[in-house]
Amino acid sequence: MRDVTVAFGGGAAPALDGVDLEVGTGERVALLGASGAGKSTLLRVLLGAVRPRAGSVRVGGVDPFGSPARLRELRRRTGFVRQRDDLVPGLSARANILMGQSHRWGWQGWTAVLRGRLPSRYAARVRDLARRHGIEELLDRRIELLSGGQRQRVALVRALLGEPELLLADETTAGLDVVRAAAALADLRAVDGATLLVTTHDLTLARGFPRVVALRHGRVVHDGPAPDDAAAGAIYAS
Amino acid sequence: MRPDLGASRTPTDPAGEPVRAGERVADGPRPAAGPVAAEPPPVVVRRHLARLLRWLGYLGCVTVAVWSLGGTGVGVGPLVEGREGIRRLLAGLFPPDLDAELLRQIGAATVETIQISVAALVGGTALGLPLAVLIAGNVRAPRPLALAARGLATVLRGVPELLWALLFVSAVGLGPAAGVYAIGLHSAGMIAKLCSEQLEAVDPAPVEALRLTGASRTATAVLAVVPQARATVASQLLYQWECNVRSSVVIGYVGAGGLGQELGIALHLFRYQELATLMAAVLLLVLLVDGASVLVRRRLGVTAALPGECERPRYRLSRPRVP
Repeated sequence: MRDVTVAFGGGAAPALDGVDLEVGTGERVALLGASGAGKSTLLRVLLGAVRPRAGSVRVGGVDPFGSPARLRELRRRTGFVRQRDDLVPGLSARANILMGQSHRWGWQGWTAVLRGRLPSRYAARVRDLARRHGIEELLDRRIELLSGGQRQRVALVRALLGEPELLLADETTAGLDVVRAAAALADLRAVDGATLLVTTHDLTLARGFPRVVALRHGRVVHDGPAPDDAAAGAIYAS
Repeated sequence: MRPDLGASRTPTDPAGEPVRAGERVADGPRPAAGPVAAEPPPVVVRRHLARLLRWLGYLGCVTVAVWSLGGTGVGVGPLVEGREGIRRLLAGLFPPDLDAELLRQIGAATVETIQISVAALVGGTALGLPLAVLIAGNVRAPRPLALAARGLATVLRGVPELLWALLFVSAVGLGPAAGVYAIGLHSAGMIAKLCSEQLEAVDPAPVEALRLTGASRTATAVLAVVPQARATVASQLLYQWECNVRSSVVIGYVGAGGLGQELGIALHLFRYQELATLMAAVLLLVLLVDGASVLVRRRLGVTAALPGECERPRYRLSRPRVP
């Protein structure tokens, strides 16, 4: 990501202001910053959901704003978990998990997914991932019957099912109690093989990562090991 | 967390008065009254202008209403003048004709009305629902296709059922088939519009989430948009069925079968007692259909969705399964 600037609306301050960021394959990075610092926008730029006003972006060598086909391909190789509840209500946890791989099936597969059934080669993997994240018993429950923490794990398993090369997690620990937040982060760190980019406003949680990139008013103000308390004060200062 | 919590409080001006949106907070003390202060700031002018426009709007509405009432000659006068005709008609309705042969005929016509309404709903849904999916903005169908679907739905909806019925009666002849075509086409247009609104009203977060997994537009529509709107779309279809029952009575009058056709015949032959029985049958049918529809909608968990109302589906919590 080179010199990326994103601005919403007319005269509002830019959400990202000349951000330079390079993340190597397999790296684990925490994006730290107060609300409105531009963390979520940065992830959305990587997913091609927000077009920057200036600068260039490459994800795994692919320009997210190139052709729609390449963007879809990029998204299929990326897992995205976010703070907002974005599971489809009225459907089972299993259906929601399988939905992330809709590109692998046609009509028949989709109707099977809606009924919570699936090709056998996915059955084992879904069960395995669900067991690892403690939601095996909940697979047949409807989403609205699950707690916030359980839903978050469903969203994580959905993101992991496609074995993503890049995993983006947007404030997945917000709204969880301390124990659950630590568990959710442990779940993320336990993911093997993927490049991991996690946003958080919580310095304690960010300290679990070898590299912390801090944003303030859309600018990178820290890049390196987790900042100490004194440096963190500057990150949160208005 | 940001330490400047004060920023989120209601902004106040130096005198401690809350500041309305759009007003600027002066940095220093207020300027004393003088030639500069006497000049009204632009925000006050804007507010006065807005108030003037609002009152002009009210005045316009009242003018149009009075003009319409005057133009159509509506009032108490015509009713008083025509009281003799009304008395004759009401007197003629009683007692309703309860002849066994007539009741059998009315029963058959009622069944035909229900058949017309259901057949029209099937046809209307088959044509209207795909159009609704293409029209819904969050499905992001290819633009030419979406525009074509919207145009077709507008034409289907824009031509009244009565006009469709007249066209089909002259094309396929008198009888229920003409009614089915007429109501089916009109209800397809209605279903396309109302259901597309229900589809657009779903929570956008799951839709975007699926799109961000690289799902195709079709997959996103099938897996994230439609499942969220199931209950409200079903409720909308039920409401359309109610409308179809009422419409089939009206268009029956021009020869498209069912109770309406019987009503037309009774009215033309001045058989007012027969008309009374038919009116009672229509009322009973509409009440029954409304009741059935309310019951089914309640089962669906959507109790208050009115046509066009963008209501989020309310899901009933089923008992959790024991693993």
